[in-house]
Amino acid sequence: MSKAKPTAWGLALVALIIFPLIVTNPTWTSIGVSTLLFMACATSWNMFSGYSGYISLGSGIFYGCGAYTMALISEHAHMAGGEAQFWLVPLAGLVAMLVAIPVGAVALRVRRHTFVVITIALFFVFQLLAINASFTGGAAGISLPLIPWLFNYFNLPFYYVALGIVIFATVLSALVRRSRFGLQMLAIRDDEDRALGLGVRVSAVKLTGFVMSAFTIGMAGAMYAMFFGQIYPQFVFEPNFDITVALMAFLGGFGTLLGPLLGGLVLEVAQQYFTLTFSNGSLYLILLGAMFLLVILFMPQGIVVAVSKWWNERADKRDTALTTGIASDPATDPATAGMNPS
Amino acid sequence: MNSSALIHALLDGVLTGSVYALMATGLTLIFGVMNIINVAQGILVILGAYLSYSLQVHFGIDPFVGLIITIPTLFVVGVVVERLFMARLKGPERTSMSILVTYAISLIIEGTLNTFYSINDIQINAWYVNRSFLIFGIYLPYIYLFGFILAVALLGALYVMLYRTRFGASVRASLADQVAAALVGINVKRVSTICFGLGIAVTAAGGMVYGATNAFNASTSYDLISRLLTIIVLGGMGSLGGALLAAILMVTLGDVVAVVWSPIWSSPTFFFVLVIVLSLRPQGLFGKQSARVA
Amino acid sequence: MKRNGRFFRAVGVTSVAVASMALMVTTSGASSSTIAKGKPVTIGISLSLSGDFSSDGLAFEQGYKLWAAAVNKSGGLLGHQVKLDIVSDASSPTQVVTNYQKLISLDHDNLTFGPFSSLLSLPAAKTVARYGYAMIEGAGGAPSVFQAGLTNLFDVSMPVKDSLVPFAKWVAALPKSSRPTTAAYVTTNDAFTEPQIPVAQKIMVAGGIKTKYYSVFPAETTDYTPIADAVAAAKAQVVVLGSVDVPTVSAFMQAFEQAHYNPKVFIATGGPDQGTQFSSVVGIKNADGMMVPNAWYGSATTPGSQAMVAAYIKAYGGTAATISADVAEAYSVGQVTAEAVNATKSFSNAKIIKYLHSSTAKLSTVQGKVTFDKLGENNSATAFTFQWQGSNFVQINPTSSPASKPVLLPKPVWGS
Repeated sequence: MSKAKPTAWGLALVALIIFPLIVTNPTWTSIGVSTLLFMACATSWNMFSGYSGYISLGSGIFYGCGAYTMALISEHAHMAGGEAQFWLVPLAGLVAMLVAIPVGAVALRVRRHTFVVITIALFFVFQLLAINASFTGGAAGISLPLIPWLFNYFNLPFYYVALGIVIFATVLSALVRRSRFGLQMLAIRDDEDRALGLGVRVSAVKLTGFVMSAFTIGMAGAMYAMFFGQIYPQFVFEPNFDITVALMAFLGGFGTLLGPLLGGLVLEVAQQYFTLTFSNGSLYLILLGAMFLLVILFMPQGIVVAVSKWWNERADKRDTALTTGIASDPATDPATAGMNPS
Repeated sequence: MNSSALIHALLDGVLTGSVYALMATGLTLIFGVMNIINVAQGILVILGAYLSYSLQVHFGIDPFVGLIITIPTLFVVGVVVERLFMARLKGPERTSMSILVTYAISLIIEGTLNTFYSINDIQINAWYVNRSFLIFGIYLPYIYLFGFILAVALLGALYVMLYRTRFGASVRASLADQVAAALVGINVKRVSTICFGLGIAVTAAGGMVYGATNAFNASTSYDLISRLLTIIVLGGMGSLGGALLAAILMVTLGDVVAVVWSPIWSSPTFFFVLVIVLSLRPQGLFGKQSARVA
Repeated sequence: MKRNGRFFRAVGVTSVAVASMALMVTTSGASSSTIAKGKPVTIGISLSLSGDFSSDGLAFEQGYKLWAAAVNKSGGLLGHQVKLDIVSDASSPTQVVTNYQKLISLDHDNLTFGPFSSLLSLPAAKTVARYGYAMIEGAGGAPSVFQAGLTNLFDVSMPVKDSLVPFAKWVAALPKSSRPTTAAYVTTNDAFTEPQIPVAQKIMVAGGIKTKYYSVFPAETTDYTPIADAVAAAKAQVVVLGSVDVPTVSAFMQAFEQAHYNPKVFIATGGPDQGTQFSSVVGIKNADGMMVPNAWYGSATTPGSQAMVAAYIKAYGGTAATISADVAEAYSVGQVTAEAVNATKSFSNAKIIKYLHSSTAKLSTVQGKVTFDKLGENNSATAFTFQWQGSNFVQINPTSSPASKPVLLPKPVWGS
């Protein structure tokens, strides 16, 4: 099993790398770029919220800050549109982290349930600032310099940079999970007071996790700004984004590594398909809501957990059948009775 | 800035704030008894507004009279939603899941409303919406006064129910401590269902008044729910008195800022105050200070 | 066995995924600019058929369709019938980008027309620029649109910044005895309305009209009463309202009525130009005297205008006065495109762009003459001011124009 897992990951990576070379139509590679960015955001969100149990619905703050960083610097430095702008992406991530420090310091003072709401409130503060403050260009938004690439090339650099961001976010999340820091966050999720009692520096751990998760999301925002070439405050600070990112992680598997990636892939492709077919109208909303509802109610722990449970149950049944020669029910079979299916 | 504008802002704050208090009370009650954050409260207010609108436009029923129909209707909607979806939520992540579930429900309701009513802004109209009377040197539309009276009446009825009836005692017990309440024999499940229904039923009244004083469509719900959530957090989640005070405080503050400074900063101030108060008092104005962190 | 099962499953899933992706291979690229004989010329358009701009989007659709029908009746473009490929963008900028990509790279449409609003025109123009397409549009006229350095963008309608100028000049030039002395300016913070107000204010202040109130309110406001009350409290004689839609104007009018405030002159930048959509919401009595800047109205006698009006009434009913100006804007987009195609005798976007920028281009539309500067602005466009008088919607400015009627001054008291 430990040999198959890296191979599976490797194959998936290869598939993602060669995808735009096979499917060249810009409509599909655009969807690919959006999907990769969401996968990165969901993974990064999960790295804090999934491991610590503090559900944040304010990730839009970092996305928006990243987008505005990219837009404002591109504009004020009179940059020419193109490769040079990619260097601003990690810078935007850093800005998002800086913003996350005071935001986190304020938001993390409160109880877990109140935390959710205060992240929403803080998100709206930022949205309103973006619309009304003078340096952000107001409701007219900011236009980014025109990138002179042609249609059949345009999406490729974005795709591969986005892929790089996804890989970075996944590796980071995996490293955090295996580290002591990650264990501390998991301990906080299980029982914060006990963790505190055991000597975990709870406030510092939470804040660090929160700030770290902002980096990738800020980068994704910057990529979005560059890709679309135009940002408006009410679309870059969008409440739907916050919920979508959380939902992707839940759908895939809250707290797991593969979960947010899978959730991001499935949900974003589904959303894009819906908008291409039903174009964002009322039917789209109903279908989206129904899809969310079904997933949450029937796969509350996410696809990854549900599927691996199902797979393991089947494997157990098969193993038992092979050793005893008869297909048996794990509950009544003397070999496995009394054991919970993994 | 002249004094009559300021008086108007204060008056409007109290009158409109009471309507927000009505809607926020439902939200905080649901959280207090069931630990559920009902993000769909905003769209349900709008649903109430649309129902009142339809009753008036298609059947000629006065919006206030129409409440006899819309309040029970939304109560039933609440009970059905609770039985179908909320009751299925279990486990430690229940509250977080409730956010996602209620969000999904709000999307479905929003899409349905858009299909039936189209996306155009509408407003509920009646004689008391356009006509005003003179008070303290300003003209006040009648609807604000009537809405205030309605809110006070319904909140009063709610308080009477809570403090004078046996069912109310069960609710208060569940609000204080669900486990203990179950231990003394209170049917917490039934209390939860009815409270959810009540919490939604009051949005019918709030929605009608909101729809008469604001142009609305389905997407207005986002602004609404963010205000309602802010109000209950400020007041202390689960505290009914806190919801009332916070609602009046917030709306008054927003109106005063619009007069004294600029309408642009009215909404941001709303959220700034929340952030400041929570930094100093994380449990909100009247929230329970918990011994455990989470 | 579990181990191998997992491995093979992973391989299986991945190869299925790659195979299915490979099945989606299509050739990308812009369609050729020559069309086979007998085939129609397809024009891709993204419109806001739902969302914030839906009423304008629907009016645009009507305008585009009327133009296509008129062109097809007289033989089509260069002998090819015109087919409109319309998709909805629900007033969302990201959807607009996806739509135009789909229209060009999947549907292979030959030409593209613009969406509604400055908000959407800009990302749309940037997207189609990558494919070398022209973006001819009628509703993206905010200054921010022209500052993006696009060479493929052409706005056939008037740049919005100057739309209040004829009005402001008229007010400032009134004889001293009837000239108002105070004005209140209030606008939503929108890229379309906000730039217009300071331009008008400057002219009026120079004419001796004092500014008693100036404020900007958030676009997401739902309760206009506090703001309208503040304007009413200023008791100015002129109100200049920067609004984009009917609900905003109607909310202000209602609040003014409740406050018993009757300004002598009341102009709104958007809303009163929406024909019956406006008069039925506020009531025809209250509409009396309301002014709005615009570039077209039902009784206009510009080339093609009356024919368009007749066709509109035949297709959709109503009267000339109830037709929204958006219909004319969309129609003009079609007219300019047809003129460029006929002049260059091709559907090549590159040639069309070159022609439209050249100084020899002869373009005329139902909104009047059109010439494009290098930013894509129509600098031949004239702004007019219109006013509701009784149940008619008439042109009042520029007063020198023979088509202008006398102004109804002061505005009648609400409800009378």
